[in-house]
Amino acid sequence: MTYKVTEEGNISTVFLNGEIDMDITDKAKEVILPLIESGKEVHINLKDVSYMDSSGISVLIESHQKALEKKTKVIVKEVSKSVLKVIMMAKLEQILNLE
Amino acid sequence: MNQISETKDFPVSASSLKEVRAFSRDVFEKIDLPQEQKDELVLAIAEAAQNIVKHGYKGVEETEDRMEIKISLKDGQLEIGFFDKGKTVVPENVQHRKLDDIKPGGLGTFFIKQIMDAAVFKKDQKGWVNHLVLTKKI
Repeated sequence: MTYKVTEEGNISTVFLNGEIDMDITDKAKEVILPLIESGKEVHINLKDVSYMDSSGISVLIESHQKALEKKTKVIVKEVSKSVLKVIMMAKLEQILNLE
Repeated sequence: MNQISETKDFPVSASSLKEVRAFSRDVFEKIDLPQEQKDELVLAIAEAAQNIVKHGYKGVEETEDRMEIKISLKDGQLEIGFFDKGKTVVPENVQHRKLDDIKPGGLGTFFIKQIMDAAVFKKDQKGWVNHLVLTKKI
């Protein structure tokens, strides 16, 4: 996985890339969670993520819950068809903020 | 192709999951199935392999053990075998979390059950500790 973070005002956008599995979830959390901790609104852009398993879904849930705790929000953007299918299989499309 | 049987072993490590997916995709390339279904099957296989790494070797920092995956297709019945030497699995304890209990983790087994027709731990390990078999009529 590679990633890029852009900042605009209070919004940080994290562009993830590649396949998200158990091997890289720690790295993804290291990038995303401190941004939420600092009170930023975080947009996770998944347009270049071709595969995500349950570990990746856990990162999205953890990010969402951390944002609620910090009274900010996480928006998951540009989800690819294959990743959306996994999110829907987990019945999380109504829980996560998808755009 | 109506019949197939391919086996590969992998180091028990999170870094092997990419190789597990590559192996699975290579095998499914030889089977005439919609891409969407192939993707689901790859996910089920990767989740089962992940369960071995995550739960079968919980608390183990590093191991030289390997896990073996066998993908077979015969008469429209897809069978995927997983062999490992991790902690003995008690099938009754393998449960996914309730979906309305939103928290990280516990989804892998749920995905496997959603995708496959059956997931059974067999008692014919032959030198292995666990032998999980996933099946699906395709």
